[in-house]
Amino acid sequence: MTSSSAPSRKALSKIACNRLQKELVEWQVNPPAGFKHKVTDNLQRWVIEVNGASGTLYANETYQLQVDFPEHYPMEAPQVIFIPPAPQHPHIYSNGHICLDILYDSWSPAMTVSSICISILSMLSSSTAKQRPADNDRYVKNCRNGRSPKETRWWFHDDKV
Amino acid sequence: MASGFDESTSSSSSMGNGGNEAGNFECNICFDLPQDPIVTLCGHLYCWPCLYKWLHIHSHSQECPVCKALVQEEKLVPIYGRGKTPTDPRSKSVPGIHIPNRPAGQRPETAPPPNINNFSPHGFGLMGGFAPMATARFGSFTLSAAFGGLFSSLFNLQVHGFPNATLYGATPGFPYGFPNAFHGGHTPFFPQQPANQEQQADNYLKLLLLVIGVLVILALISS
Repeated sequence: MTSSSAPSRKALSKIACNRLQKELVEWQVNPPAGFKHKVTDNLQRWVIEVNGASGTLYANETYQLQVDFPEHYPMEAPQVIFIPPAPQHPHIYSNGHICLDILYDSWSPAMTVSSICISILSMLSSSTAKQRPADNDRYVKNCRNGRSPKETRWWFHDDKV
Repeated sequence: MASGFDESTSSSSSMGNGGNEAGNFECNICFDLPQDPIVTLCGHLYCWPCLYKWLHIHSHSQECPVCKALVQEEKLVPIYGRGKTPTDPRSKSVPGIHIPNRPAGQRPETAPPPNINNFSPHGFGLMGGFAPMATARFGSFTLSAAFGGLFSSLFNLQVHGFPNATLYGATPGFPYGFPNAFHGGHTPFFPQQPANQEQQADNYLKLLLLVIGVLVILALISS
């Protein structure tokens, strides 16, 4: 499955390490509501449990996010995907890739894992229909060689969901 | 919540307790205390190396990472604290990337010393306010006023003109060639005095204007 495709596994830089440790401490003190960090000894890959917000289509459902950090985080965005099975959502492909601008073109080094999580939960919560993107099959087929979503040229067209 | 944390985050636990207050002074990119601190016009604090690397190497825009406001390098403001840089300035360097020096502060001129002339009847500082008024007014009436109406217009001039005299700036040249000593001698009576002296000052000014008027006439005749 595609989720196992690691991004180019270069060790974290010193700056990245430092910052991730700070983020982790902050997460422990003040975790975003609805998320749970699953402990590993790997600072470079976080696995985070997402609980669908109550009153939304995804209430009482639990999904897993996998966050992989590049060597030069936070100058470069982390790779964020759902570990399949991914939630049914018009912007989430069945291989777990997420079409969300802040993960790609609109990334800013002032963002954090926590702020990404909140954006993803907000994206889930505003969904009005549990369905896959129209081009899901084509896209997933294209990614079969284990391509990272960061190599996709995304087209962000929908600002409602 | 974070039940499973047994992790070796001890290196960062030193900032754990006071982290939130110190957060006001952390770089928005590396979350450390800034090295070569610099602040954008939109008020967001960064290390200069962090911001430089983001704007020039990783980003394709000139946006503030926090608020997306336009960032112009010549408008960045460095923050000069008291201490010396505690870290090695090379600690954030990346091989193959040359980070230029942090932009310098834009220092306005040194503030002028408090102007004691404002409270003293002596000194040439007052003349600066007086003289331009005279020349400005003369410019208009020499064009329009007939010689017969000259004196009355002089008096009007004095009444309206002087209260605003200090609004005029530095002394320009005297277009009619009056000797400077003439003005210098009368400036002690310029009406920035307390109110009880103002009447007296007005009288002197009236006299002064009459003399000036006569000189103007002479100047016009001789030219």
